[in-house]
This record gives sequence, structure tokens and C-alpha cells, in this order.
Amino acid sequence: MTQQTWDEVGGLLPHDEFRAASEAIVANIEQVIEGKTATVRLALAVLLAEGHLLIEDVPGVGKTKLAKALARSIDCSVRRIQFTPDLLPSDVTGVSVYNQETHDFEFRPGAVFANLVVGDEINRASPKTQSALLECMEERQVTVDGVTYQLQTPFMVIATQNPIEMEGTYPLPEAQRDRFTARIAMGYPDAGAELAMLDGHGATDPLTELRPVSDAATVRQLIGHVRQVHVADAVKQYAIDLVTATREAPDLRLGASPRATLQLLRTARAVAALEGRDYVLPDDLQALAVPVLAHRIIPTADAQLARRTTDAIVAELVHRLPLPNDRKRSPYDTRPGGTGRGPYEPRRP
Amino acid sequence: MTAHRNLGFVAAAATLLAAAPLSAIFLRWTWLIEAAIVVAVVAGAAALSRLARAPLWGQLIAMLAGLTLGLTWVFPGGTELLAFLPTPSTFAHFGDLLGASMQDMRTYSVKVDDVDSLLFLTVLGVGGVAVLVDVLSVGLRRPALAGLPMLAIYSVPVAVYVDDVPATPFVVGACGFLWLLVTDNVDRVRRFGRRFTGEGRDVDVWEASPLAAAGRRLAVVGVALAVALPLAVPGMTSGLLNAAGNGTGDGNGRPGQGNSGRIDLFAALSGQLKQSTVTELVKVTTNEPAPFYLRFGVADDLRPNGFRDRTPTGRAVNQALTDPTERAGVERQRYRATVEVSKSLNMPLLPVYAQPVKTEDLGRSWRYDTSLQVIFSDRENSRGKRYSFDYVRSTYSPSALRAARSLPTDDPLRRQQTATPGAPAVDQLVRQLVKGKQNDYDKVRAIYDYFSVENGFTYSLSTRDGTSGEDITDFLSTKAGFCQQYAGAMAWLVRAAGIPARVAFGFTNGTRSSGGTYVLTNQNLHAWTEVYFGSGIGWVPFDATPAASVPGSVRSAWAPDTEAPEEATPSTGGAAAPDGADASAGPNSPDRLDKDADQGLSVGDGGPTQQSPVWPWWVAGALALLVLLAVPALRRSALRRRRRVRVAAPPATALAAIPGQRGEVRDIVVGVDADRARADAHAAWDELLDTLVDFQVRVDRTETPRATAERLVQETLTEDAGAVTGVRLLGRAEERARYARDPLAGEELHPALRSVRGALAARADRRTRIMAALLPPSVLLRWRTTVSERSARLVTAGGEVRQRLLRWSPRRLLAGRPAR
Ligand SMILES: Nc1ncnc2c1ncn2[C@@H]1O[C@H](COP(=O)(O)OP(=O)(O)O)[C@@H](O)[C@H]1O
Ligand SMILES: [Mg+2]
Repeated sequence: MTQQTWDEVGGLLPHDEFRAASEAIVANIEQVIEGKTATVRLALAVLLAEGHLLIEDVPGVGKTKLAKALARSIDCSVRRIQFTPDLLPSDVTGVSVYNQETHDFEFRPGAVFANLVVGDEINRASPKTQSALLECMEERQVTVDGVTYQLQTPFMVIATQNPIEMEGTYPLPEAQRDRFTARIAMGYPDAGAELAMLDGHGATDPLTELRPVSDAATVRQLIGHVRQVHVADAVKQYAIDLVTATREAPDLRLGASPRATLQLLRTARAVAALEGRDYVLPDDLQALAVPVLAHRIIPTADAQLARRTTDAIVAELVHRLPLPNDRKRSPYDTRPGGTGRGPYEPRRP
Repeated sequence: MTAHRNLGFVAAAATLLAAAPLSAIFLRWTWLIEAAIVVAVVAGAAALSRLARAPLWGQLIAMLAGLTLGLTWVFPGGTELLAFLPTPSTFAHFGDLLGASMQDMRTYSVKVDDVDSLLFLTVLGVGGVAVLVDVLSVGLRRPALAGLPMLAIYSVPVAVYVDDVPATPFVVGACGFLWLLVTDNVDRVRRFGRRFTGEGRDVDVWEASPLAAAGRRLAVVGVALAVALPLAVPGMTSGLLNAAGNGTGDGNGRPGQGNSGRIDLFAALSGQLKQSTVTELVKVTTNEPAPFYLRFGVADDLRPNGFRDRTPTGRAVNQALTDPTERAGVERQRYRATVEVSKSLNMPLLPVYAQPVKTEDLGRSWRYDTSLQVIFSDRENSRGKRYSFDYVRSTYSPSALRAARSLPTDDPLRRQQTATPGAPAVDQLVRQLVKGKQNDYDKVRAIYDYFSVENGFTYSLSTRDGTSGEDITDFLSTKAGFCQQYAGAMAWLVRAAGIPARVAFGFTNGTRSSGGTYVLTNQNLHAWTEVYFGSGIGWVPFDATPAASVPGSVRSAWAPDTEAPEEATPSTGGAAAPDGADASAGPNSPDRLDKDADQGLSVGDGGPTQQSPVWPWWVAGALALLVLLAVPALRRSALRRRRRVRVAAPPATALAAIPGQRGEVRDIVVGVDADRARADAHAAWDELLDTLVDFQVRVDRTETPRATAERLVQETLTEDAGAVTGVRLLGRAEERARYARDPLAGEELHPALRSVRGALAARADRRTRIMAALLPPSVLLRWRTTVSERSARLVTAGGEVRQRLLRWSPRRLLAGRPAR
């Protein structure tokens, strides 16, 4: 269990190398998950952005599958926690036990001491247990009985959960949700993908045959590459504008945190790198706004009554927010012609 | 629909505000009332047609019908049905009015009275502009374009008052335009739905934008200005002399009604002469071949502060006037003249030739002062008067004048008319001049000749006004002045020599237009000296002002041009000019005019010395409209050319392809070249956006370059492969220029632009293409944005100032004081 310091992650990789390594992981996962390329890439991007992933969807759409496939594709330490109502915090973080032989307390690490931690059905555990993840997810360390233990790099929690309306779930507290970089939904596979799934998975589970195509060292290199991706000032401004818009949106009771801004930009770097660019585009931020921001915000009671989902609210914000222009002010504030042909149809009060 | 109704109303009001500059053309405000009626009818027709959801052409027809009905009602030809339904003869009547207006434009000069034909033309023009403005701002939603016809109205007074463009009406018009723009913008903001103002959570509240407040405030200012305007501009309510008189601007100011009613003729004279605008004041027709000056006033009361006029007294002119008696050596000839006073000359005196013996067309209230020889009234004034009179022209031979006896010293006239306040330097000079002269005429001639150019006297309009002793002494030492000083000084000197003298006011002969008709303007106003000779000869005019400097100046045998080398060379025009009555009348050759420009008249205010007829205004207005309409297109092509130069410049070259880390090869583009490539990409992208606007393709500020390019590929440029790659290249170049470390290098952007433009043009309908070429919407949009931005900033600044002022409001200060 060697501790890897952040300085050891490398700089920019040659494009080909980065591409080969990342594509290999994606392709590997896709052997198991049919027709979900975008979701798979996003999951990988979260890994490369040093974030944590929350997969939320109805049961039986391959959440667990995705988490496990990602874990298997990388040759590193993987632990899986099945969250149940009777799970204890110590099961997650570890516990000091009295060793009869040495007559001393000895730390027995919990499930989080691994590179990839798959937390299945995370909202079935009690909030107390869920909260055990708070420290380790943000600070990458565990403190038990006053002693702090560092976690490894890479470290990623991939949690799955059912939507909160489902029976027997404890909703994740805001603080906990905020620690997840992105929340993605699997969605049903389309007809073709489902057919392919039937053909390929009918008899055996391809997951068992899945071989790792990468290792922790390679992932560290990829992470180092992602960190070098260029972010122009205008893009930073756009990220700030986006989160500010969530804080000022009339439909929202709670906007996105500064942590969200950070993680948004990091994930955008990873996405850009996966697309073979060495600079971030506002397009990246636009694509990531819903997965990265939507699970952190809380709509007002009115908006909830109107059944406006946070996803829809964030999507609308993105749709409305003008791009910052680092150059001279552009005259295209209002739509020329102005006969309501734009996306903003006149709204009556 | 409410928004449209509101915008239509604002368009009509803005049109009326924009018509404010026409107040400089008309004497009265009738035109505004009539124009308001017609504009209201037009706006009402437009609103009704929109209520009926008529298409644009339907609205246009409704407005034109409204215009016709309104015109019919205001300018009836007499055959209308129900007073407002036109019949064919109504249109014939309109045609007559139009024809007459063309005629009248040439005859009348500013300011014109309520002439029906000109009113018709004006109301028709304003109504037409109202239709245009409505169509442009409500129908086409191009309120920026509506500024062009509105500006065209302004070009009319600009063409008339070449130098001295009235500013206030323009401000009013501009306010109207701003109002229209702001209203339109507010309307747009509303359609936009919710706004992000960065002000917090309550932005969803349905509230008027700050621009709406700006519009309201501008409207208030505009209305206030429109009301204050007629009061603020003196020329609108009073005429020539009232404006300049030291009394008030009351149109019936009477001469000599106490001190306040008295006119300072000198001040009026110099004020008018120094004005750069040329205003026609009088038109006179006479059968005298070479008349002397038309005359209307006298100043014979010499006070310490200079010559002043006295209250005239006399009998009504429609009774018989005294005929001057025959004298030896004095040639008297009877002539007849007709005077038309324009609307601009407004005084209680009437210009006549000396000496009138019989008048026609003048009522009882006009009276004649025999000693001053002026026609005056204490009830009426000269404005617009037209009258004829017979007069007797006296011409004097020098010998007869020489033979005239001086008045006895105790003669009341001599006592009164030789009094001077005394000025030692002047008396000294006069003693020198008259030394050895035996008779009055020689003395007067010595004084008269003294003011010659040889003695160093020059004509200059830029001298101080006044005929006080001090002023006269100054004039004698500086030897520069204009008719006021020459006439005043000579009268003073002659008086100092013991001979009665006074200053007369009137017109030189100005411009002789045709036959015996002279057109006299404010620039022809003049003053000269009259000297009294005994033996029944009476008042004899002497004009000491250098003839070369005064257009239309006349010299006589007894007072010849001091500059002319041969004295009194009578070019006796046959029987017309009797002995000695030579009047090298009104030399008005071009070189004379040139001289004017070089000398006095042009000092300080080189105004035109010619009459400005009315018709060039309209031509100039039409030209200005054309030029203005061409401006956006010119601006657009200039912009495109500039960007093309940018884009076509050699693209940045990769200075070196160096191996990056771990064997990767990266093009390194550094320094100036990178900046250049970036600027090129931006220029190309801006050009693309402008092109999109021109061809009515949506431009979205929330879209990234990549998204815009993809949208164009999906929606607009689907068929054209070249344009598809072109637009993608442009998007990539802009994206790289904005967000990447290194801009895209080595790509040809100009061909890409051209292919995209071609594809857009091929896809657009004809109307869009024509608009893109003639009135590119991108330029208009840019202008509108600038205007509304400025106005919003202005309003914000105004609000801040108000806030700051409020902080010092006494109420607040008191409220803030701790209670005891
Ligand atoms: N897109 C998919 N591709 C392949 N298999 C899928 C997909 N979606 C669901 N499945 C299959 O459905 C089953 C349920 O998956 P699981 O991950 O356990 O669901 P969840 O965790 O969401 O309840 C798995 O056997 C998996 O193979
Ligand atoms: Mg599961």
C-alpha cells in the first residue's frame, strides 16, 4: 500500500499515448455495457478528473454493471461495499481492534482503502453510514480514533443508487451529494442495444471474462495529462457565470457550491482530453453542466410543485446564459429580426 | 398586440417630434396642428388595420387611405362628400396646391406665413414620413431605419440655414427617435421573457426594464422641449425690429411710447447686418430708373449716448400730403412705387422713397411725419403689408446747394438739429475741415470727403456699436466702421459745423431682380446722413459709407463717390436721369460681391449675401435622404473590406515544428504571428456573424462557435458541401483563437467566408438579399445597440446624479439629525 504523492503524476502525454490508453478502457467497458458510450466516457472522465461518480437510476439498468466494469478494467485495488440499512460506519472506514498477541490496538482498514470503491445502493444505508464517506471522499484520508490514514491515488468512489422516490431509501444528505463530482443516469438501452445485450449476455456474464487493460500507474499518467489541459480565461468566466446563474436562478433554493465550480472545470479538462483536445471549450462545460451541477442544487417548493426537475432547470440555465466574450462587446444581445424566432418564445405573465 | 399599439403610438409621436425642425421654416404653428391631425389619422388607421390583423401591405394601404382622408379634411377643395371623402376634383385641388407650392417655394423665403400650398406640402410630407416610420418600426421592426426619414425632415432647415442650423428642434427630433428606439427595445426585452440581471432571485417578476424608464424619461424631456421651444426661440414670435429693439418683443411696439417702446434703430441695424442668414425683407417696384434708397426711419435726437429717434407725429397718410415746392436748381420728378413687405419685417414704420406725396392701400392708422418724412403707426405694423405710393424725387445740383443760405442761428430747427453733446477732438477736427469754406455745402462736402479711403477709412462690420461722442472719437481715430459709424460721425461733424444734420435709415438698392423690382434683405439695411439746407431746399442725403463696400450703394452728383477718380461722371442714362441725378445705381457686379466678402461684411460671420430661395431645401432634403440611405451599405462594405484585408493577410506561419514532450510534434506559433492569426480568426468570425444577421439567420449569444457552426450545417447550409466545410473551418478557427493556447494557423479563411456567404445568399429570398445589399441589418443593429446602450448609460448616470443630489436634500439632512 504505497502512498503515491501528487507530484509523481506526469505532465502532458503524447496524444497518441493518451488516446490509446483511454480508448482501451472505454472499449473494454463497452464489452459489458451496450449502447452507453457517452455514459461510459463520462464515467472515465470523472475518474481522470479525480472525482467521484454517482450513478442514479431505476433498478436493473446496469448501474452496478458499469461500476464493476470500470473497476475491472483497471488493474488496481478494488473494493465493493453493498450498502444496507444495517451497515456500520466502521465497515466503511475501518476500525481499531485490540490485538491479543501484541497487546495493542491495531487498525483494520475498512472498504475505502482501495483505488476504486464501488458503493452499491448507497442510499439504502442510514445517513450515519453514508456520512462516513464525507472525509475520505473530499480529503482522501480516514481518521479513526484520532489517527489519520491517507488513501491511495487514484481514489474514486463509484456509487449507485435508486431514485429517492423508491422504497426503502434514505436520501443522501446535501453535503454528501456535493462530494460527488457527477451524477449520471444510465437510461434504458435503445432497442438495438437491448437486442445486442440479449445476444451477448444471454448465457454468460461477460463481466467475468473482463480483463484489465490499464493499471494505477497509467491512470496516474492520464490524470497528469488532464491537469495540463489549457483553460482560457473566457472559459473560466463561463464556468463562474454558470454556477452564479444557479445561485441566482429564481427556481432554485440552493445553488451550486464553489466546489462544484472546481469540479466542473476539472471534469471539463478530462472531457476535452478524451476528445483529443488540449484546451477546454465552453461546449464542454455546457455538456457537463447537468451531470456536474444538477445533483447539488435544490429547487424551490414552487418549482418542485411544478415538477421541474433540477436537470431541466440547469439545462434551461445553460440555454439562456450568454457566452462571455473576452473581446469587445458584441452587438448580438438581442435577436435580430426579433420576431420571436429565437429559442426564447415570448412568455406571457 | 398591445405592444404594437403602443409602438404605433410612439412612432406617430416621434414623427411629430421629428417634424419640430420645420418650425424654423414657418412663422406660425398652424402646420404643426394640421400635421398632428393628419399623423393622428394615419396612426389611427394603422392601429385599426392591425386590430383587424391586416398584413403589412394592408396596413400600408390603410395608412395611405388615412393620409388621404386627413388631407381632404384639412385642405378641402369644396366638393367633398361629408367633408372628408375625396372626389376627383379634390385630387385636382391637391394637384393645384402641389403646383402652387413649387411656385411658392421659389417666391417665399423663410420664414413663410401660413400659405396653403406650402402647408399642404408640409403636411403631406410629414404624413408620408409618419406612414414610413410606422411601416419601418412597427411593420418591419426596423426602428433604426425610421430615423432616416425623420432625419430627412431635419435636412430641410439645414439646407435653408446653411450656417446657423437651429439646434433645439434637432434635439427634439432626436428625442423622438430615441423614444422610438427605446420603446422598441423595451418591447424586445419583454418578448425575451425573464431577464438575468444579476440582481438576485426576483428577476422573474414581471417588471419593466430600466430601458422602459429611460424611454419614459426621454419622452417627458421631449414633450417639455416641444412645449418650451416656441417660447425659447425669439424669432418665432417677433419680427425684425422687435427682436432687436431695446423694448420688448411685443409685435405692436409703438415708436416713442415712453422709453420702453422706443426702437434703437442703430442696434437693429447692426444686429441685422451682422446676421449671417439672409432674410428677404422688402420687395419694391418703381418706375424710377435709378432710385435712391428706400427709407423708413430717422434718428435726429443726439444724446450723450448717441443718435436716437424721436416720437413721430403727423396726419393720416390717406389725406393729401404736401407736395414739395419747385425750386431753381432742384430737379423734382414724380414717380410711383409699390412695396411688398415680407413677413419678416415687423416694425411700426413703413419703408418709402423720399418724398411720398400720395399713398394707396394704407389705412387711417398710418400717419406721416412731415419733418421726419417717415410713415408710422401706433396701431399697426409693417409685416406683410403691400402698398403703393407716389413720390417726388429731388435731385440737387451742387451749385444750387452752394447758393442755399444757412438757417438763422435762432431758427428752432437749427437750434435743435445742430446740438451736440460736445466732443473736443471732434470740434477740433471740424474747425480744421471747414476752415475757409464759405457756404454750407462746401463745409458739408469737406466733411463728407474727409471719410474717404484715401484718408484711411475702411469698412468693417466688426466694430463696437454706438454713436456716442466716445464712439465717434474712436471711429475717427481707428477709421474703421460701417454705415452706422459713417452716418453717425458725419451727422455729428456736420452738426458741429453748425449745420442741421440727422441720420436716416433704410435700404440700399440691394439686388435688382427684373425691371424696376428690387429685392431687399437684411443685408441691405443701411444708414446715411441727411443735411438740411436752407432756402427751401430741405433735407439732402449724403452717404459717407464707402460705396464699394455696400452692395446697392448709390452716389449722387452732390455727394459723389470719394473713391472714384473722376468726380461725378454722369453716365446720364438718357432722359431717365435728369441733370446731376446720376445714380450709378446698385452696382452689383460679381467683383463687387467678392469685395464684400473680403471686406467688412464677412468679418466674423461670412454669411451668404444672396437670397436663399426655398426650392433647394426640398432637393437637398431628397439628396440627404438618399445619402443617408446609402450610409449603412457603405459602412457594411467598408467593414467587409477591412476584415478581408485582415483575413487575406499572409496567415501565421508555424515558426518551427518542434518535438514536444515524448516525441510529440507541435506547431509552435509565437508572438506577433499568433496574435495575428487570432485577430484574423476573430475578423472572419465577426464577418460571418454580420453576414448571418444580414441574411436574417439567427445569431445566438448563448451558442459557442462550434455550436453555431453545427447549427448552420444542420439547418442552413445542408446542401452546400463547400459551405459546410467552410463554416466548420471558421468555427474551429474562432474556437481555437478564443480558447486554445495556439490559434489555428495556415488556413485560408477568406474562401471559406465567401462560400458561406454565397450559400446564404443562394438560400435567402429576394427581399432579404436586397435588404442585405442596400440596408444591411447588421450595421443597423450595431448602431441601434450603440444608441440604446448610450441612452441606458445616460439614464443610469442621470439616476446616479439624482441619487447624489438627494443625499443633500434638506429633508434628508434634517431627518438624519439626531433628535434632542
Ligand atoms: N445497457 C446495458 N448493457 C448490458 N447489460 C445491461 C444493460 N442494462 C442492464 N443490463 C443488464 O441488466 C442487469 C441488471 O444490471 P445491474 O447493474 O445489476 O442493475 P442495477 O444495478 O441498475 O440495478 C445486468 O445483468 C445487466 O447485464
Ligand atoms: Mg445494482
